[in-house]
Amino acid sequence: MTKAAPAAREPPFVIRFGPVGLAQMRVQTMDAAAVHAEVMARIASAPQLFERTAVCLDLGELEMVPTARDVRALLDAIKRAGMLPVALARGNEIVDGLARELDLPVVAQVRAVSKQSAEMQPKAEAPAAVPKAAALLDADSQGAVAQLHHQPVRSGQRVYARNRDLIVTTTVGAGAEVMADGCVHVYGALRGRALAGARGEITARVFCQEFNAELVSIAGVFRVFETIPAELVGKPVQAWLSGEDLHFARLGS
Amino acid sequence: MAEIIVTTSGKGGVGKTTTSASIASGIARRGKKVAVIDFDIGLRNLDLIMGCERRVVYDFVNVIQGESTLKQALIKDKRIETLFVLAASQTRDKDALSLEGVRKVLDELIADGFDYIICDSPAGIEKGAHLAMYFADRAIVVVNPEVSSVRDSDRILGLLASKTQRAEKDESKVKEHLLLTRYSPKRVAAGEMMSVDDVKEILGIEVIGVIPESPDVLAASNAGTPVILNAESDVSLAYEDAVARLLGETVPLRFLEEPKKGFFARMFGG
Ligand SMILES: Nc1ncnc2c1ncn2[C@@H]1O[C@H](COP(=O)(O)OP(=O)(O)OP(=O)(O)O)[C@@H](O)[C@H]1O
Ligand SMILES: [Mg+2]
Repeated sequence: MTKAAPAAREPPFVIRFGPVGLAQMRVQTMDAAAVHAEVMARIASAPQLFERTAVCLDLGELEMVPTARDVRALLDAIKRAGMLPVALARGNEIVDGLARELDLPVVAQVRAVSKQSAEMQPKAEAPAAVPKAAALLDADSQGAVAQLHHQPVRSGQRVYARNRDLIVTTTVGAGAEVMADGCVHVYGALRGRALAGARGEITARVFCQEFNAELVSIAGVFRVFETIPAELVGKPVQAWLSGEDLHFARLGS
Repeated sequence: MAEIIVTTSGKGGVGKTTTSASIASGIARRGKKVAVIDFDIGLRNLDLIMGCERRVVYDFVNVIQGESTLKQALIKDKRIETLFVLAASQTRDKDALSLEGVRKVLDELIADGFDYIICDSPAGIEKGAHLAMYFADRAIVVVNPEVSSVRDSDRILGLLASKTQRAEKDESKVKEHLLLTRYSPKRVAAGEMMSVDDVKEILGIEVIGVIPESPDVLAASNAGTPVILNAESDVSLAYEDAVARLLGETVPLRFLEEPKKGFFARMFGG
């Protein structure tokens, strides 16, 4: 017997899906020099927030499809300036193709958990950085009203409310997916998947009128329902995250 | 104004073509001018069920590709004056259809004064099914009372709400009708099949008809007669009710219960 085998049968690693703090960089230009200069400036203004920060690159606002070579040049420029690009933000098939070529993952959840990012915020010594950081992370979330959806969400369909709550006034079918950066409310039967806090908001919740979900996730912590507990099935239910755990309870009782 | 109705399901073999043939015949029998089109390119069988397979000279693909006129390809039904069939091609594949080609044929049928155009969709959610539903004003979603069929129909309803001309142009949405077929009250009672109410609740759309499971369907298709024309059969009555509802009449649902056994049947345990 070799000594290498540890006494306890610990697996070589533990795998867990959960929220990861990632800044999202939505680029408006492929001009690597301009991006390099801006990243340097951001880091200078708020090093605690931006230095060696993991960045997810969002190409969705570009007017032209970039080549893999251009994206690589951009990634290098960001890295040289001091941030660490680690992924591309989910987009279309073109993004998928680029990611494959660049050997990068494509991620949907790209925002830091609110609590952590609050702790990371620089204090009084760099007052200018706070609004800037907020502008970068939260560009279009100010005062956003919930996104309303009045059609049934059918099997195979996906509805995503970015930076806000999602309210579905009818049913979510089996095999359908409803997702929001905020809370998900379903004023009908929830038979498909519901994902709240899609970008890591741990205070987000899922509410539904008639619980029959296949999966519920909050800030990346999820539970799959092969069978629904008898006390919840068909009932009005809410789900929330407390620490590491998802909790489910009947509403109004 | 002509109405385009697609018969669709997602799942295969649930009874779309049987339904297309009977609904088309039922509407035409009331004096409306009806064309029924087979979109199942490469697997044509509407012509078999309509009993006109030996009269197919030109088909849908020939018309789209300009190899024949629409008039040459439309097969006039021998039983009902105002009923016409446009067969699918057996030899081509589904790529022979194009959105523009389909649009051209439908426009020509409308210009010819057809009142109803029934599009018999192939199974699946691929190109053929997409083209069959794309121009529809209404959809008959054919469902069997079992989980996988219901799930596929939910999927199709999602596509009707997003991948049709009406959805893309932001016009009023495609009108959706649920047709439950191969319904066996006995198996529903035994808990082996979903009930009308179960299916209705999951899909959330109005029921246009419930067609019982019956050997009459196979007999009719072997004979090349749309089953609605077999006056003896419950299936025929159920399809006739569906036609009436489609045309706006209010008719109560029937055949939801197991037929009561007659005195003789009971006596002899039949
Ligand atoms: N009410 C019924 N009772 C018994 N058998 C039925 C009934 N309706 C349809 N069938 C049978 O089901 C089979 C499939 O019917 P049909 O061809 O109409 O389905 P389809 O949905 O058009 O199939 P496809 O997806 O292959 O185009 C046939 O054998 C038919 O006889
Ligand atoms: Mg068919």
